[in-house]
Amino acid sequence: MPSGSEPVVGVARSVALVGLRAVDVTVEVSISAGLPCFSLIGTTGTAGRQAGERVRAALHATGIRLPSRKILASLAPADVPTSGARFDLALAAALLVRLGAVASSALTDAAFLGELALDGTVRAVSGVLPAAAHLAAAGVDRLFVADDNVREASLASGIGVIAVGDLSELLAILDGAAHPRALPARPPPAAADVADLADVRGQAEARRALEIAAAGGHHLLLLGPPGCGKSMLAARLVGVLPSLTEQAALELTAIRSVAGLLAGTAPITLDRTPPLRAPHHATTAAALLGGGGGVARPGEISLATHGVLFMDELFEWPRRLLDALREPLEQGTVRIARAQATVCYPAAFQLVCAANPCPCGGAGTCDCTDAEVWTYRRRLSGPLADRIDLAPRLSALEAGHLVDATPGEPSHTVAARVRTAREVARERWGVVNRLASAEPVRATARPAALRTLGRAVESGALSGRGFDRALRVARTCADLAGDDQVDREHVLEALAHRAALRAARVAR
Amino acid sequence: MTAPGSSSDQVGGAATVVPAVDPVDDTTRAVALRLAASGHADASVQQRVVHAMLEAGASCRPADVIAALHDHVGPDTDTSIARLHTRLRALGGRLIIVGDRDYPPHLADAWPELGAPLWLFAAGAHVPGDRRPTVAVVGTRRPTADGLTTARGLSLALADAGVTVVSGMARGIDQAAHRGAVDGGGATVAVLGTGLGVDYPTGSSRLRAAVASSGALLTELPPGAAPRPWHFLARNRIISGLATATVVVEGRDRSGALQTARLAGGQGRDVWAVPGSINAPASAAPLALLRDGATPVTGIDDFVAAVCDTLPGPAAEVAPRGITGLSPSAAVVYDLIGAVPATTDALVSTSRLPAHAVLAAVAELVDRGAGVMTPHGIVRRQTATADAGGGRVASVSVAGSTGMRPPQW
Repeated sequence: MPSGSEPVVGVARSVALVGLRAVDVTVEVSISAGLPCFSLIGTTGTAGRQAGERVRAALHATGIRLPSRKILASLAPADVPTSGARFDLALAAALLVRLGAVASSALTDAAFLGELALDGTVRAVSGVLPAAAHLAAAGVDRLFVADDNVREASLASGIGVIAVGDLSELLAILDGAAHPRALPARPPPAAADVADLADVRGQAEARRALEIAAAGGHHLLLLGPPGCGKSMLAARLVGVLPSLTEQAALELTAIRSVAGLLAGTAPITLDRTPPLRAPHHATTAAALLGGGGGVARPGEISLATHGVLFMDELFEWPRRLLDALREPLEQGTVRIARAQATVCYPAAFQLVCAANPCPCGGAGTCDCTDAEVWTYRRRLSGPLADRIDLAPRLSALEAGHLVDATPGEPSHTVAARVRTAREVARERWGVVNRLASAEPVRATARPAALRTLGRAVESGALSGRGFDRALRVARTCADLAGDDQVDREHVLEALAHRAALRAARVAR
Repeated sequence: MTAPGSSSDQVGGAATVVPAVDPVDDTTRAVALRLAASGHADASVQQRVVHAMLEAGASCRPADVIAALHDHVGPDTDTSIARLHTRLRALGGRLIIVGDRDYPPHLADAWPELGAPLWLFAAGAHVPGDRRPTVAVVGTRRPTADGLTTARGLSLALADAGVTVVSGMARGIDQAAHRGAVDGGGATVAVLGTGLGVDYPTGSSRLRAAVASSGALLTELPPGAAPRPWHFLARNRIISGLATATVVVEGRDRSGALQTARLAGGQGRDVWAVPGSINAPASAAPLALLRDGATPVTGIDDFVAAVCDTLPGPAAEVAPRGITGLSPSAAVVYDLIGAVPATTDALVSTSRLPAHAVLAAVAELVDRGAGVMTPHGIVRRQTATADAGGGRVASVSVAGSTGMRPPQW
């Protein structure tokens, strides 16, 4: 079995991740005279330093004894954060080469990602998809991963993914004694299980706002008493949004991969359903924005990228967290600095918030005065209020609605209108209306429409920034109606959708 | 604009001022000042002493009452009269005792049985000293936007007609009433539930200063007295007593405004109420008063004319002022809105128009000044005079009355 000559150094290839950025890592192993020990250099974190012990035990379980000499392993480059146990498999492969159990040529154009159990089993690690995509781009042919990482890794095209259940299988494949197992065939994508708008009865204003939000990418605030169906409606936004493009779906899946959400559960086909994340208001800044020691992991806002971030009970959220959403809302990315690296994750989410309309909750007979409601709504963080364009008021659910036999319009007909409107916008300026530049949008508006907006600014009802934001919503209304020009009626509708927000801002 | 005190004969009821009671001498005045400043002879003590004297068949001359109070409370020889005068001067105030020339005559009518206070601390330029019509505009501290507009509009029109507006300086309707009268260039009197020199309600110091310079701040409480719930209940009889008519704009079912109106009725004054929707909690008090026989305020001009006892003008315009040039859906929605806020969903289900048409219609009505957006939905703008060109609206605004800008949106 041994090929005779033992190289001085065993070398294997692996990949480290800094955020979503993949960095090549070379694993080198040398064995020399000296006191018996397993020394690992160039790594950070406890799990990394203990890799030697795991690899020694796993090799032992596979029937390979390490010599009683000084074993030195190095991860290069040394300045890349290399914490975690993801390099175990590469370490074992390099050792097998150094010991002469495997020819060094067997590792050409191959890379390894996996953690070792003490009995030699290979375990899944996070971030395999971005690593596989990086390796494919770098021209690597084969990627050895744990069984549970196979489906995720194979979402990257242009690289052969080889599943290794344990070290003996690795040894057999590298040695040519066994062939890689065939990947399971891809079943047709399962129909996404998304709730349907037909379940929502009544709520004409909120349904209309939801459609505009979907068509233009505008941020939405649902105001309604407890139990009127705010969460229900928010969950249905995803169902009327168009499917993700391949690029967007890959980016999202890579984020999920880095967050460790995919191992063993990843779909075999790319999931193109826009994500819906609904963190609780007691969530931490690290969980919402991304964080953790060493290299920050993606947070809820990144997991919601290209989809919907739903923040229920908006007024319960700490002001600090709401203000922290400014940068992501503005730039579509979030930058997180931690001890070892500053990483940048995508965070291009659409915001859907929900809140009670007034201090008493608004259910039944509300006796809040206008002034009390204004004071309450003024708690809406300024930066956030500036970015929300639609604030429909939901009605309390009446018993009549529950037994009403006429269902609401189903999601697929709304989705069809949304798709058409989005296509029109993409043809016009390549992005959704919310992200369009101000000047070109103004150029598509009739003078009467601009005059109406101007009057709203004059009366103090609309800020200068609000002028263009309202106009973009009006543009979406026009797109939904199939009109080339933004007309007065579209602007009026956009203003009406902001009415509840204006009440939040004009007071005092 | 009629300057206060300049043309009382124009506005009717210019009766010759005949002091109903004799003024007190200087010694008694010093005793009264000590008593008033001590706070021991408050409204309830005065009432007890006066009732006892009336039952005993004694004459209730102010001097006698002061003497009786002095006996009742006990002698106070410690307080320096000079110090009290200095304190009052610093606050710009003075003590007025029943029978004094500048004790408000309408209030003097309520002496002694009907609750007029024996004395008042007054600060300000014009304590009402003649028998011109005086109207108390009162209401809730938690008004609706419509209520604020109404209170302000009433006071503005009253001030314009030379009528003094009395109210209680409370947040909400009261302050809107004072603000309207000040803005209308008229006289307004605030009866406080605190002593002079107390910043209450907090944040209203500028309005208090404006009231003091156009009219007066009055209180029966000693300088520096803190706001207490019973102060406000006792204060309400002075508000009603100062006025020939009391109008309640808005109030809930057990509001102080309701009490003021009932006291006014007991003092033989006119009680008016601004009708509201039976579904609006803030209209509970005026509706209760209407049920009990108060006169409804059907329009600002009618009300002012009636209060001033002048002939009503040419037949009042009964039909609502037309708003022309509305889009078809806005016209439909305009017919559906009123004083109670209507939500978009409610308008969608009653109009059977699609949601986007209703939303555009609502915004059009606000844009044209035919509607006002409140947090609870759209209401019809009562004082709107929209022009056909879709331009700005000339209407009274509630700006400044409570520190809030009108929520056009």
